[in-house]
Amino acid sequence: MAIPIRVKVNGQVEALEVAPDESLLSMLRERLDLTGAKEGCNEGECGACVVLLDGKAVNACLVLAAEADGHEVTTIEGLGRPGALHPLQKAFLAHQAVQCGFCTPGMIMTALSLLLENPAPTEEEVRTAISGNLCRCTGYRQILDAVQAAAQEMRAGAQGRRP
Amino acid sequence: MQERLDYRKAHSVEEALTLFQDLPRSRYMAGGTDLLPRARGSGQAPSRLVDIKGIPELSRIEELPSGDLRIGAAVSVAAVAAHPTVRQRFSALSLCASALGSYPLRNRATVVGNICNASPCADTAAALLCLDATVLCVGPAGPRRIPIHEFFVGPGQTSLASGELALAVEIPAASAGGRAELGRLSRRQGVDIATVAVLLSVLPQRSPRHRVALLSVAPTPRRASEAETLLDQRGPSAANAAAEAAMAAARPIDDVRGTAAYRREMVGVLLTRAVRALGAA
Amino acid sequence: MSQGRWVGRDVLRVDGLEKVTGAARYLADVKLPRMLYAQVVRSPHPHARVREVDVSRALSVAGVRAVATGRDFPFHVGIYLKDQTVFATDRVRFVGDPVAAVAAESPEAAREAAALVRVEYEPLPALFDVRQGILPDAPLVHPDLGKYQVVPWITPQAGTNICNHLKVRKGDYHAALKTAAHVVENTFVVPQVQHVPMEVHGSAARMDLSGKLEVLTSAQSPFTVRHLLCACFGLSHGDVRVMVPQVGGGFGGKAGINLEPIVTALAMRVPGRWVRLVLTRAEEFYAAVVRQGLVATLTTGVDRSGKVVAQRMHYLWDCGAYGGYGVNVVRAAGYTCGGAYEFPNVWGDSIGVYTNRPVGSAYRGFGMQEIHWALEQQMDMVAHEIGEDPIAFRLKNCLGPGKRTVTGQLLDEHSGRVDQCIQRVAQAFSEPLATRPGRLRGRGLACAVKAPAMPNDAASSVLLKFCEDGVLEVLVSGIDYGQGLRTVAAQFAAEALNLPIEQVRVRNLPDTDLSPYDWQTVASRQTWATGNAILRAAEKCKAQLFETASQVLGAPVERLALRDGQVVDTGGAGRVPITRLVMGYQFPDGHVIGGPVAAAAHHVPEGLLFLDPQTSQSAKPVAKWTFGAQGVEISVDPDTGHIQVDRVVACYDVGQVVNQGLILGQTYGGVVQGLGTGLMEELKLDLLTGKAQNANLVDYKIPTALDVPAALEASFVETPQKDGPMGARGIGEHTMIPTPAALANALYAACGIRIQEMPLTAEKVRAALREKRAKG
Repeated sequence: MAIPIRVKVNGQVEALEVAPDESLLSMLRERLDLTGAKEGCNEGECGACVVLLDGKAVNACLVLAAEADGHEVTTIEGLGRPGALHPLQKAFLAHQAVQCGFCTPGMIMTALSLLLENPAPTEEEVRTAISGNLCRCTGYRQILDAVQAAAQEMRAGAQGRRP
Repeated sequence: MQERLDYRKAHSVEEALTLFQDLPRSRYMAGGTDLLPRARGSGQAPSRLVDIKGIPELSRIEELPSGDLRIGAAVSVAAVAAHPTVRQRFSALSLCASALGSYPLRNRATVVGNICNASPCADTAAALLCLDATVLCVGPAGPRRIPIHEFFVGPGQTSLASGELALAVEIPAASAGGRAELGRLSRRQGVDIATVAVLLSVLPQRSPRHRVALLSVAPTPRRASEAETLLDQRGPSAANAAAEAAMAAARPIDDVRGTAAYRREMVGVLLTRAVRALGAA
Repeated sequence: MSQGRWVGRDVLRVDGLEKVTGAARYLADVKLPRMLYAQVVRSPHPHARVREVDVSRALSVAGVRAVATGRDFPFHVGIYLKDQTVFATDRVRFVGDPVAAVAAESPEAAREAAALVRVEYEPLPALFDVRQGILPDAPLVHPDLGKYQVVPWITPQAGTNICNHLKVRKGDYHAALKTAAHVVENTFVVPQVQHVPMEVHGSAARMDLSGKLEVLTSAQSPFTVRHLLCACFGLSHGDVRVMVPQVGGGFGGKAGINLEPIVTALAMRVPGRWVRLVLTRAEEFYAAVVRQGLVATLTTGVDRSGKVVAQRMHYLWDCGAYGGYGVNVVRAAGYTCGGAYEFPNVWGDSIGVYTNRPVGSAYRGFGMQEIHWALEQQMDMVAHEIGEDPIAFRLKNCLGPGKRTVTGQLLDEHSGRVDQCIQRVAQAFSEPLATRPGRLRGRGLACAVKAPAMPNDAASSVLLKFCEDGVLEVLVSGIDYGQGLRTVAAQFAAEALNLPIEQVRVRNLPDTDLSPYDWQTVASRQTWATGNAILRAAEKCKAQLFETASQVLGAPVERLALRDGQVVDTGGAGRVPITRLVMGYQFPDGHVIGGPVAAAAHHVPEGLLFLDPQTSQSAKPVAKWTFGAQGVEISVDPDTGHIQVDRVVACYDVGQVVNQGLILGQTYGGVVQGLGTGLMEELKLDLLTGKAQNANLVDYKIPTALDVPAALEASFVETPQKDGPMGARGIGEHTMIPTPAALANALYAACGIRIQEMPLTAEKVRAALREKRAKG
């Protein structure tokens, strides 16, 4: 009983036949080989699978693939490329905010969702936003610094584009 | 082979009701943030999920001409928490909605879904209880309005009949303009189910003016009406007596998150603090 | 801080780009052609005899390709003590013990079949408490303990539940205790906790049609996995290939051998097919491995001058159902039983006890956080008893150059300075602590020490080789699961050969067929061991380059130097780019000298000696010690019992900071992990059923970004390690050792209550405050 869906993933329209109980996470990873989003718990408690759905962070394990029909998904693979990294990717590198890297894609996507909503968050707002993204390695300190640095660069970039 | 889950997206309320009736063990799904992990984990998986997010009228927050606020069943917790009217006129709901789950979860979970799960720790239930909300629903027998006070029946149980779909919650205009204080204890600072929570809301246009809701200390979210009466009668000076009354109203249990004794004691501490905070404001 | 061109600086992570772009592939990200999905059938009983295992119904499920049981694979496995079988044979010993496993075409079919495996159990009395486990009438978890294979330095005691017992006897404890002016005795408890790596355990295996086995696994120890798999299944090392993709955290939980035997058994049943097992998060909690629990009883005798004269330490370790790896935690805790202090007269016992709990294993700190929870509270409690300042008391009794450890080892000026770490933290606390309305505030300090716990021959080897364009490839087989080994390896190589760091590529997705040998990535040993090996290999490469260049430039080797990719004659003007040397140099007439430049080198700890079997005395039982201290400032809400951590100050003597950003990451990460175990973490078992009550992230909480203190401060003392690469010693594990004890000491300072059972939950604090008030 496959369900036909059309979903825009990282700017490209994908026409897929998904199973009714297939999660968005599984669809991205198994069908599209977009393995940046990770399965850490499969119950929305760790944040390793966070992607943007219509520009907002969601746990991809808590969304059915079928629910994404007609919507737009952005994953870490849709962010930047070497030489043209997204400010968040650059800042995570520059602030040594990455260790094992398993939480990193979800962490960056959550931070991106926050910064799209709130370009100048306080540290408390950043902490709150990423508190659903567990990281066992870093102690979060360098991640918090990286998000602030990226916010600053994104604000500067936005100003630079204004006439 | 195991029976596989079926997923259908409804585009109208009528379609949703029909889809539900087609199969036994159907469930309505809004955000799905509670439903999906439970469906995966347990033997009591539903046979069909009827997705209601494609029904346009359920995806709106509307201020009605009466001044009442209607929140559709498909509106996310994040949208409710951030909604200017909610923040300005019904701050209790904004407070509780912001306390629920994590940021990505709030983007997906809905307020109506939160109360339909009827967990004793449902954060938004505390606000809706204090604000005298009404649940609008419709089922095979037609539409009906359920006062929030009659909505919660037991852990995971509501007064919705089988096949009945909760369409929205309405908050009366008369509940607007109050102040609220949420005391919420959990095992860690970030993203955790409340071990115990107390919401105190002061609504100038209502009687009682003081509203006290308790979470995680009874089979359902509940109000502590004796405490409210005491606070209405004697104001902040009744803080200790109200705390005693709220503690007496609590029916906590021991579980992996905390003991009954601690929870009961904390009901008193949190209410006393909330009274002090609002009194001082 | 000494700085080289690369070592000592904030060099950015060399594997960062793949991790921020989503390119990094972890086990579950690797596509394996026609892969089968494995599901384990696990015991629902904490202790039971297995009467019968019937797999017939499971085999009839469509899509099932293999079912394996203990009858098919009755082989023993274990790194130090072979006390476990691949699947239970006659008995299950904890809820989650593997009884059988299924491989099927889909995860659904595997789950369905696993549910249809019928196991007939005869429940046995279960043991959950180590204090009961050592009683003579306790149920025996391993009646065959005397028959298991074991390394000579682990001492299981047949007919008991004791899987290892290390005795430390120094001086004359009993006589010295009689002379003490004060005697203080206390008991401390640490529960089992779980590592909670963000990536759960996973392994895959395929046996090809020629009988060669390939294993892909999320592991800390590819070579040890190969070695133990071969021992278990009777295979040749030549026929087994173990590969490790990116690893999403391990913290000790992926050390030794874990799921690999299960997937191997299944793979042997379906030649030609990949079989993959990835645990669920729930299985990760109760069926992977956990950190051992501890009951510690300490007796301290102090003389009138405030010097400890006699110290007894009794450690009872809850090793859970199997002690294969955990027995060495027991040993390490034994020879480190006195922590960072010099005790002249010592009576120490570190005893590992089997229970019917989840399996204990290595966890960041390797027993040290647990014993420091006891030792560092005890030091405070003794100080308070004799009316001395806890910091002054520590400085009076701590180890340092010229002092002797509990095993009699003499420390020298290269051994690291805990006194300086204590003083740094004390200095950070020199201002009085500001009060805060409605809160009780306090500061606490705790020290830490740890040595690498490893066999005396634990080795790391590396291979350095140049590409045609002058890029240096560094092959190392330690696992970089976030701590930064790849980056540190690049720094050492670039430093030694004076190359731009961009010209160094660390090849590090270890493959036992192709990579140089490395024992295990544990014990905070990689920077030290692999670092040393790289420096040695770099010297060999340099010698090869110079030998060729010397002939090219007509200059003696002693006059040559490496500068930015060129060999320079320091006594003349001649120079030759290494790109002309790395594949051999061709003269204008066409003849060639030299050849591809490459070198291997290894590091093995020098001069380690066994412990005396009766007393554990030894002049050099371990390779090195890393000392440190942490201080915390907390605010306690007296009405709710909640502890808010406002500030943590950490200082370690690391010998040489190798990478500023990475060492901060190790420190912050360890501190926050320490706050987790100190404040909120505990794997709770239902003592009727033996089932974990919180085997999920809803009810097993680890710290979030909101739980991080407003102020996290780290500083480093650098007393060079004699045998360390450029003086460096290990730091990865040490950062989480003292945190819980420092919290407990701060709690006492804040409100006069002492909680001796980890973690410091709000409920416990509230109850202790109420009790204190009741006592008046």
